[in-house]
Amino acid sequence: MKRIKGIIAVTCAALLALSGCSSAAYRARTSGGTLASKPAGTYPTGPVKLVIWWWGEQEVAGAKGWLADTVAAYEKLHPNVKIETVLQTTDSLIPAFQAAAAANQGPDIQYFWGGINSQEPAWAGHVLPISDYIPASELKHYLNAATEDSYKGKILTAPWYVNPQFPVLVRKDVLAAHGLKTPTTWSDLLSTCDKLNAAGITTLAGGVKDGWFGGWLYSMIDGQLVSSPSDVTAAVTGQQKFTDPMHADWWQRLQETVDHHCWNADINSQQLYQAQQQWVSGKAAMTITAGTDAPNFVKKVGADKVQITTMPKIGNGPYAGKMGTTSQTVGITPWTKYPKVDADFIEFMHSPQRLQAWYDKTGSMPADDRFDMSKVTDPVKRQLFQMALNGAPYLENYIPAALDSNAVFTNVQLVLQGKRTADQAAADMQSQVERLRLTDRSLVNDFKAWKR
Amino acid sequence: MPVATTQAAPAAVAAPQPQRRRGPNLAIVPWVAPAALIILAVFGYSLFELFSQSLQYQGTWAGIENFKLVLTDPLFLTAIWHNALLLLVVPVLLALSLGVAILLLETKRGLRGYRAALFFPYILPIPVVGVVFGQLLQLNGGLNEALRSVGLAGLAGDWLGDPSRALWTMAAIIVWKEVGFGIILFLARMLSLPADVFEAARLDGAGFFRMHWNVTIPQLRGIVLFYIVNEAIVMVSWVFNYVYVMTNGQGGPGSSTVVSELYIYRAAFADQTPELAAAAAVLLFIATLGLIVSFFRLQRSGEGAFGD
Repeated sequence: MKRIKGIIAVTCAALLALSGCSSAAYRARTSGGTLASKPAGTYPTGPVKLVIWWWGEQEVAGAKGWLADTVAAYEKLHPNVKIETVLQTTDSLIPAFQAAAAANQGPDIQYFWGGINSQEPAWAGHVLPISDYIPASELKHYLNAATEDSYKGKILTAPWYVNPQFPVLVRKDVLAAHGLKTPTTWSDLLSTCDKLNAAGITTLAGGVKDGWFGGWLYSMIDGQLVSSPSDVTAAVTGQQKFTDPMHADWWQRLQETVDHHCWNADINSQQLYQAQQQWVSGKAAMTITAGTDAPNFVKKVGADKVQITTMPKIGNGPYAGKMGTTSQTVGITPWTKYPKVDADFIEFMHSPQRLQAWYDKTGSMPADDRFDMSKVTDPVKRQLFQMALNGAPYLENYIPAALDSNAVFTNVQLVLQGKRTADQAAADMQSQVERLRLTDRSLVNDFKAWKR
Repeated sequence: MPVATTQAAPAAVAAPQPQRRRGPNLAIVPWVAPAALIILAVFGYSLFELFSQSLQYQGTWAGIENFKLVLTDPLFLTAIWHNALLLLVVPVLLALSLGVAILLLETKRGLRGYRAALFFPYILPIPVVGVVFGQLLQLNGGLNEALRSVGLAGLAGDWLGDPSRALWTMAAIIVWKEVGFGIILFLARMLSLPADVFEAARLDGAGFFRMHWNVTIPQLRGIVLFYIVNEAIVMVSWVFNYVYVMTNGQGGPGSSTVVSELYIYRAAFADQTPELAAAAAVLLFIATLGLIVSFFRLQRSGEGAFGD
């Protein structure tokens, strides 16, 4: 036993001693949001292999086919280039990239959700700003790039397609069967919940088991209560508090939906995409889905039975009654050997022929103002695209991802389960952000720089 | 050959002589060195990186700051508490495994079939188990529907969606999956025990319970210790897979199923705080090491894990 203790003690001592002189081994977030950079170089003539990790088929059916066609077309134009695409799952999209980035290797082009989801990797030095490789005259056409994906005067990642976040899908037939109309205000919604609940019908179908829907609800409800995304970043940096009415009232609204039995009883044991099927089957009058996926849901039920709308209006703020908008993006990683080729491929994705092909293949809106909207004849899609173009900032994209998952996802689950009150949830969110400022010692500076 | 004659006679009757301590056999070094170096490189480097990161922040020495932050994080303490609660599953697993193994030992027919059926959950991949139970245990899932159909609606519940039940539901799933390992382990040992001991006990009038309590179980001491330590390690550092699959990597609802490994994973790959993940991993490493050392101590104080 003495021998074992001795070995352990010596090993621990050696590791501690060695670790004291190993600062170079550490690869983590750089302080103060110093962005990575790399010379663009010239377009190579020798063999080039690119790897793209992406996500999106789940919310944009047809994206896989479009990407395959786009890769094939690009390879035909550039026979020396081979591109491999790897489709990621929702749960692995961020962790897989983080793990790869920790090892300084991974894809040449990576898919990022917008806002904070492209900012944080860039602050960590895991993204080469796209504006270093694509001219401003081109980037100015990419929708939402300047609002969500810019930092210190640079555009970090390139918007790919627009996601109206999030439309509320209403079964007019279900409401009509109970003498109801689509609720347009919050009090209408609660009243609808009461009536449908008495009739044994679920008003809103949702699933929070996987957490994501919590972030949606935060954005759709609190997004109407703030006056600008700066309010949210101010609460992150400590200039405001998440217990202030502007940031805490949405928990009260959420609590009201619980009190009025608006949700399906099994919301905590259903995953997001599972729960939406209750709406398709007519067991629920309303649901919420990704804007890119909404036309598919409408098609399943029949356009004549469905109305697409926004979350019922709350208050009179600048974003009251508006739908959020964001663009899903792609970015170039610092370990790529060919940033010039990466950027050229991304530009190719925005060529007129590929923009039109995107719409034809997926029915969703490419993130480019050069897309010819007159080609959109489907009224559902047209309505969605207009809502997105006139949309409000998507709030979830302006809080740290850690705060989103550790405070928003979890507290929404607990409030919906009736295990936590609105006040407790707001207090927890405030304590989580205070802790985050301690653990992420670059957070405040990064957010302040982003806000500027 | 007088030497041979004088040594052979006492050897047949006397106790074995203690072996003389020999010096290190250097001849084996060339054979062992390559494997040892690879192991050292892989584990040594990992451990070095782990300790190194836990003591730094963005490349600068941070001392024990990261450990302080981890140890004052309510989520980490919750995660550790959940691991501790899951340790309560170990006695349940032990009792179930031993009980079923004894019943199988007494089974005259169909031993192979029962054994295969009970071992089957153990070989199922955890993602499959997670997905199946995830569906089965929904509020409107198969289990609750079955309970309602037989008039037991009062027993139905949101097994994985209710924070007060989720951890215990997960514990039950872990028991269902892990119990087969214990059964096979104990049964294999029981089948290798000398039959004459049981025969003697029977002749002395020992009944079912007395025989197994006083004869069978004492002879399994070493293997029981091994199983306890093994399952304790599972509960401390191997439950991640279950939690990840069944809660989509969230540890929800709320933080009701967060365990230390998930905390580490999320800190490293979701929250972008690798130094906190490293500090938590060091703490988990030390806790697991403690369990292993305890096992060796118990093994030495007893008859040896595999020697009885």
